[in-house]
Amino acid sequence: MWKFIIRRLIITFPQLIVLSVLIFLMAQAMPGDALTGQVDPNVSPAIKEQLREKLGLNDPWHIKYADWVGGVVQGDFGDSFRFKMPVTDLLEQRIINSFWLAVVTLIFTYIIAVPLGLLSGRYNDTILDSSITGYTYIGFATPLFIFALIMLWIFGYQLGWFPTSGSVSPGLEPGSLEYIISKFNHLLLPAISMALIQTVSTVQYLRSEIVDTKQKEFIVTARAKGASEARVYNKHILRNSLLPIAAFFGYEITMLITGTIFVEQIFGYPGMGQLFLESINLRDYSVVNAIVLLFGSAAILGALLSDIILSIIDPRIRIK
Amino acid sequence: MDFLEIKDLQVYFPIKGGIFNRTVDHIKAVDGVSFNIEQGKTYGLVGESGSGKSTTGRAIIGLENITSGNVLFEGKDITSRRSKTKDVRKDIQMIFQDPYSSLNPRKRVLDVIAEPLRNFEKLSQQEEKKRVQELLEIVGLSPETILKYPHEFSGGQRQRIGVARAIALKPKLIIADEPVSALDVSVQAQVLNFMQDIQKELNLTYLFISHDLGIVKHMCDDIAIMYKGRYVEQGSKEDIFSNPQHIYTKRLIAAIPDINPRNRDKQFQFRSEVQKEFDESYDDYFDSEGLAYGLQHISDSHLVALPEKG
Amino acid sequence: MEMNTMNMENESQDPNKSPSGLRILWKEIVRDKLALFSLLLLVVIIIFVYGISLILDQDEIVTVDLFAIHEAPSEEFILGTDYGGRDVFGQLIIGTRNSLSIGILVTLISGVFGIAFGLIAGFFGGHTDNSMMRVLDFFQILPFTMLVIVFISIVPSYTILAFSLIMAAFSWMGIARLIRSKALQEKELDYVQASKTLGTSNMKIIFREVMPNISSLIIVTMTLNLAANIGLESGLSFLGFGFPENTPSLGTLLSYATNPQTLEYRWWIWLPAAILILVLMLSVRNVGEALRRATDARQRRG
Repeated sequence: MWKFIIRRLIITFPQLIVLSVLIFLMAQAMPGDALTGQVDPNVSPAIKEQLREKLGLNDPWHIKYADWVGGVVQGDFGDSFRFKMPVTDLLEQRIINSFWLAVVTLIFTYIIAVPLGLLSGRYNDTILDSSITGYTYIGFATPLFIFALIMLWIFGYQLGWFPTSGSVSPGLEPGSLEYIISKFNHLLLPAISMALIQTVSTVQYLRSEIVDTKQKEFIVTARAKGASEARVYNKHILRNSLLPIAAFFGYEITMLITGTIFVEQIFGYPGMGQLFLESINLRDYSVVNAIVLLFGSAAILGALLSDIILSIIDPRIRIK
Repeated sequence: MDFLEIKDLQVYFPIKGGIFNRTVDHIKAVDGVSFNIEQGKTYGLVGESGSGKSTTGRAIIGLENITSGNVLFEGKDITSRRSKTKDVRKDIQMIFQDPYSSLNPRKRVLDVIAEPLRNFEKLSQQEEKKRVQELLEIVGLSPETILKYPHEFSGGQRQRIGVARAIALKPKLIIADEPVSALDVSVQAQVLNFMQDIQKELNLTYLFISHDLGIVKHMCDDIAIMYKGRYVEQGSKEDIFSNPQHIYTKRLIAAIPDINPRNRDKQFQFRSEVQKEFDESYDDYFDSEGLAYGLQHISDSHLVALPEKG
Repeated sequence: MEMNTMNMENESQDPNKSPSGLRILWKEIVRDKLALFSLLLLVVIIIFVYGISLILDQDEIVTVDLFAIHEAPSEEFILGTDYGGRDVFGQLIIGTRNSLSIGILVTLISGVFGIAFGLIAGFFGGHTDNSMMRVLDFFQILPFTMLVIVFISIVPSYTILAFSLIMAAFSWMGIARLIRSKALQEKELDYVQASKTLGTSNMKIIFREVMPNISSLIIVTMTLNLAANIGLESGLSFLGFGFPENTPSLGTLLSYATNPQTLEYRWWIWLPAAILILVLMLSVRNVGEALRRATDARQRRG
């Protein structure tokens, strides 16, 4: 097991490095540099050139890269030229919003997936199973953004059950109970929309896992020994099927990131995804780079975490 | 100059392990094998599965990487893959064990047999078709079948297609890797006899790999017995069958079924004798790892793996 | 007798006679009523959309008409007009055509690359396979929607081809992985070994011997990818990173719904596009799933 974990870690570092190089190269390809928008346009080219030299903008690329990575490691992503503030400060509030959106989505994903998967697997080939399978089939083919739009239209506008944009109602005291309830209320519809779509692969996995496990010898033996049906499911089948699912959340991060971009845009939710789109449209590239780097690293580390957890609970994976 | 000379051939497969997936050990599939084949003869390579006999054949034609040792064909060293010039590729061909998987199911007979022709000879479509039809006739199939797909043929017919493909370039050496063991017994004899016919006709040399001593006796001039990657005994057909020296060879020969029921008691007695000898003298014939010793000359043609005297 | 041989020749010349060929795929679709219906629906949509868009003039449709802004559905404008006074129905037809075309184009580009990648990794195995798979793993972990958006925003000359290439650059991994595992099995078969001994070059073996034998897997995966790519393209266009606005796609129509007024009160602008995307994706997927069952003998329905 340790061997697998170490080998997996060894793969992760190059991935992070390649990601950072990729983003650095993208940054180089983007128009403008750190001086753009910072300096009075009337400043003479000679002084500009001096400034460039001082800021290291004329250095060879590998020195620039080292400087940039050094800054990133210390949490310095440069300044947003649009908001005229350090990117780090700008991201802070957005990250918290996106974090809660992701957490609530994950919770809903599992709340939906576990009972549906269990029912579908336990009573497979019944009407109940076919309707759940039908849901996963359609859910798998439905793009998240269309589903989210329709949810917003029906539950936000037509029925008016949920707020239609923002992360909190204006005029509430931060920290008060109303504030927290309002925040949660704003989270609910985007999170449910995302969860209903993203959960389908987990439902499918859980179902097939249970259908498989049901026919395994140790289950048949447990039944033959007279264990009650409830005991067979709680003690034997669940333990075998639920652990891998819990470990999948690391892989879900990549999906969550993609989901956040669409969902935050549709629900006007001020998180990282929305900031990303805004910054791209405003050509605020230091913010874009920071977000891509953060999201990319999160995805890489998520996959690492899931791989390690899975290798601990499922020895078969390690052989890979 | 020998037609085909194999010198101390070794083929090792790595076993990977550890954190960095390094090679930690080897499986010695072929572990120091040397032999010569004369032109026009059939050389039989016999052994149980996993003895390395197929790997030897596949290494000679270049399907396995050779760890060390040399392969000389008509005096030319063809050990490394790069030195296998086109001529050598033309001169050495192979017949495969499984007539079902050795023909691409998506290709018509014409395309199957023409594959080597297209690689080496620039023929017009007309010429190519004519050549393929001739080849089909040589192997005893109707030239009209040229547009059929492999699945429309029986196992024996498919193996004939495989032979036609192998002889298309007029090779000198054919490596036949268990060519009939996937076929029904009734078809086996047909294919074997026909292989002998075309051997005479085209002056072919066979390296005949088989686990079946009966077939080898029928086909081969010289025979080698392999066990766990090493030679156990080598000699002419007479040496091996009339004067087997190694206990492993004796066991194999004792295991050949005899159809005549009157010999049943004799056969049974012979078998129990051999088994007794095997149990008693195992240590005389195999080293501490259960491998055969180096080969010692008994006569000019006959070599046996025995511990060195003294 | 002569009749017989002639018949035989005719039959064996029929390329569909090969055992796991297109005929099995076709049979499976016909047996699966849902898939057959989906296929017919697709054919109807395609003929309708490409046919009508021949008559429609894209430039005329995307021309802003300030006197006809946000009109409700009427006889002149079946589905009303958008904020620029442009006919929604015309945009829907042309958008469907553009979405379908780009979906097919991206599927082909990413398919060709993914197939080549998977075949080469699987065929050569060993170290080649190992390092290629590390690259693939990396691509698969990355949040690719983000990268596509970034690339689209920094590409200097933004054309439809550039858009397709960028999309393809981040969507070849799934098919590559599938093809690779199949190629790993296939290369152990004797016919591949035989081709090596016959002097056929590796590239010829990969693309002329192995590839035809996994053609059904290729067809199935490409079909399923087409569904996914239609969704992806419309998603990117929805965010404003797909086609430019003078080239409408289904996603462009949906993006009008980011205006709350349009979302709440003018459903005729975006809802038809949403439904069309769903119908297209589900139909293509139904066909793809039926094809997949056909390639897996255990799951065949008949």
